[in-house]
Amino acid sequence: MVAQLLRLKLQLTLNAFRRSPWRLVGLVLAVAIGVWLVVLAGTGLVALRLVDPEVTRNLLVLVGSVVVLGFIVLPLVFGVDDQLDPRAFSLFGLPNRSLSGALLAASLISVPSLVLSVLTVAAVVTWSRSPLPAILAVFSAVLGVLLCALLARIATSISASLLSSRRAKEVMGVLGLVLIIAVSPAIIALTTVDWQTDGFAVLGRTADILSWTPFGAVWSFPGDAAIGGIVPAIVKLLLTAATIALLWLAWQAFVARLLVAPERVGSGRDTAGLGWFDVLPGRPSGAIAARSITYWLRDPRYLVSLVIIPIAPFIFFVPMLVAGVPMNVLALVPLPVMCLFLGWLLHNDLAYDSTAVWLHVASGVRGRADRFGRLFPMLLIGIPLIAVGSTLSILFYGDWDALPSMIGVSTCLLLSGAGIASFVSARFPYPTSLPGDSPFQQPQVPGSSGLSAQFLSLLGTAVLTVPAAWLAVLGLVGEPNWNFGALAVGVGTGVLVLIIGILAGGRVFDKRSPEIVGFATSH
Amino acid sequence: MAEVAAATAPSEPDARAQAVVDAPVLPAAPESAPVAPVKRPGRRPGTKPSVAPTRAPAPAPAPDLEPTTGEQPVVLSISGLVKQFGDTVAVDGVNLEVHRGSFYGIVGPNGAGKTTTLSMVTGLLRPDAGTITVQGVDVWREPEQAKRAIGVLPDRLRLFDRLTGSQLLYYSGVLRGLDPTTVKARTADLARAFGLDDALGRLVSDYSAGMTKKIALAAALIHSPRVLILDEPFESVDPVSAANVIEILQRYVANGGTVVLSSHGMDFIQRVCDHVAIIVQGKVLAAGSVDEVRGTGTLEERFVELAGGRKSAEGMEWLHSFSD
Repeated sequence: MVAQLLRLKLQLTLNAFRRSPWRLVGLVLAVAIGVWLVVLAGTGLVALRLVDPEVTRNLLVLVGSVVVLGFIVLPLVFGVDDQLDPRAFSLFGLPNRSLSGALLAASLISVPSLVLSVLTVAAVVTWSRSPLPAILAVFSAVLGVLLCALLARIATSISASLLSSRRAKEVMGVLGLVLIIAVSPAIIALTTVDWQTDGFAVLGRTADILSWTPFGAVWSFPGDAAIGGIVPAIVKLLLTAATIALLWLAWQAFVARLLVAPERVGSGRDTAGLGWFDVLPGRPSGAIAARSITYWLRDPRYLVSLVIIPIAPFIFFVPMLVAGVPMNVLALVPLPVMCLFLGWLLHNDLAYDSTAVWLHVASGVRGRADRFGRLFPMLLIGIPLIAVGSTLSILFYGDWDALPSMIGVSTCLLLSGAGIASFVSARFPYPTSLPGDSPFQQPQVPGSSGLSAQFLSLLGTAVLTVPAAWLAVLGLVGEPNWNFGALAVGVGTGVLVLIIGILAGGRVFDKRSPEIVGFATSH
Repeated sequence: MAEVAAATAPSEPDARAQAVVDAPVLPAAPESAPVAPVKRPGRRPGTKPSVAPTRAPAPAPAPDLEPTTGEQPVVLSISGLVKQFGDTVAVDGVNLEVHRGSFYGIVGPNGAGKTTTLSMVTGLLRPDAGTITVQGVDVWREPEQAKRAIGVLPDRLRLFDRLTGSQLLYYSGVLRGLDPTTVKARTADLARAFGLDDALGRLVSDYSAGMTKKIALAAALIHSPRVLILDEPFESVDPVSAANVIEILQRYVANGGTVVLSSHGMDFIQRVCDHVAIIVQGKVLAAGSVDEVRGTGTLEERFVELAGGRKSAEGMEWLHSFSD
């Protein structure tokens, strides 16, 4: 049975290549990059053979612990699609122990597991300086791969079964985002360490602690042996073996449970009233606007993009700070960046509906109403954002003459971005994560349309804002009256592009509605 | 009975529209009036056969309706419809005429082109050739006007399922151009008729498959269309709900509405529909009243004969020696 499941998993993996040619190109590209990274890391590991054993050990323990953690966290947070869900085999009546074993073995045929295997073999070379560490390194390689595979297997099944309810998925998706954001202070904390003087000491202490946990133990015992600590090495080897034994029992118990547990169906809560539908006018455009706002608040895919908006400006901060831009000038950056991304957000809005868009088509909704309704939440957020944000920005900047420029440029970015998005989302939709899937699960289609729609709509917005921005710069450095020019040009361009975008996008929607449904059904 | 009547003639503001529907049917009223009482006793026990479908040859409604539909104008006409996907011809020159007030079933094996045909009728899929008219309006030339007359229940397409049941019904109604007060009144009627009262406040994504089907069907009815196009409407709907819904649809048909549905259930089609078309490999092999099509046997026998899909069951002897 192991052989059969291995073949099944291999077939499933290879079938990914049997999709569209673009997907194939993407996969080949991904494989090429992966191979390159593996070669790079492998060479590094081989080169470590010549480095001081203690430093090598610490490095391997640190990196290895992160890898083990990754095998747990990534399936949980990003909700990997479980191709070999134990429940899929429940009707075959296979003995539990051999099914668990076969599933575990099959899970080794995956890109992360293969990469890890190659790298652990490279680590054997690292420790091939003397016999005992080399032998232990072989154990370390086998046990390490086994440990990671078991952890990933269990985590994937947990994510596919216990966390399968809609609410749990939403919570996990947002948690994942928070986790990513939370990593940044940790990085900042790391930068405060004076690496030149006590960098190695900090690393060594961290590695020592980690090496006594299941995360680091498996990577540490060859190194321990190499620096003379035979007893700790044996103890850590036993610790690792015990961890794996426990995980194996847990996995078996879990499979046994999954085989008899039906899929969970959420019961959900009751909500009275119509929410936003009661607030907005009872016309098609109003209803579409209400539906859009409801989705922005309920659908994790929108929530994630919304949460990213306030974070985005800080990406621009770092290089500017390094370049020595004064703080008060930096205060002018966040609002336009947020407006740029907020307007751009909608450039693939139609694809988010997936096949549900049939309702708009079958109802004969005018494209114009559809386009306007979808923009509404963005305007609802964007206009107050500009009002409050421009005041705050100028407060920090210190020169109130710049206020009209700020409003002009931000409005131009927001509205022309929204106008372009109205057209692009109707004309060039590209596949995105399906409703109910994790917002991080982007389909692998690096095809021409996806990337260019993303990039060109961003570029177009920026280009359309050049005149307003130019006038704003003139106002900032010279004659303050230019600021009013920036306001007029910015708001004018924005409103014009928005109207043209809604009309053109609406026309496209009217003409191409069957093709839009066709796009949705084929992805 | 009273609550079902409320569902078909949902609310006061719609009285005008209802009158328009009724007016042309009036001459036929003497004929259709006896239809209802005659059919009712046949339909009441009809709730059970859907549980035990063995009671096949009892085609009560068909003979009654046949004479009326003969005089009715054509409400949906499909001619020369063709759709190709790559090298596969999914729909190969389909011609159909559906008269007002008929309950029209489309049957066919899996992949016969039923869904493809219905998608083209509802404006969701552009045909390669052929014309479709609804009430004389070309669906692909004047889509806006044509779509107003059609109510749609597609198969296997998503709903906006992060809305609650009542939000989804409201959304469907308002997109169809109804005013909010009418929509709310009809929502209440539909919920009662479909047994969705308790579920209206919950998200549609938390519904079971049958409930999802029911809310989608309710959304298709909300703008009181002339023609209802239903793709597999009773898949995974429980027999009791199905019986309620069939009753609603039969009253709708008796009042001049037209239902076109696709289904796998032969017994169901024979029991409920008055007309039927058998589509196999994109072609209409037989069409007409249920009695014409089925001839002397049951519809299922005729269908199997036409579809030619019966494989001989020989060579499966191993199945008779059990493996445990």
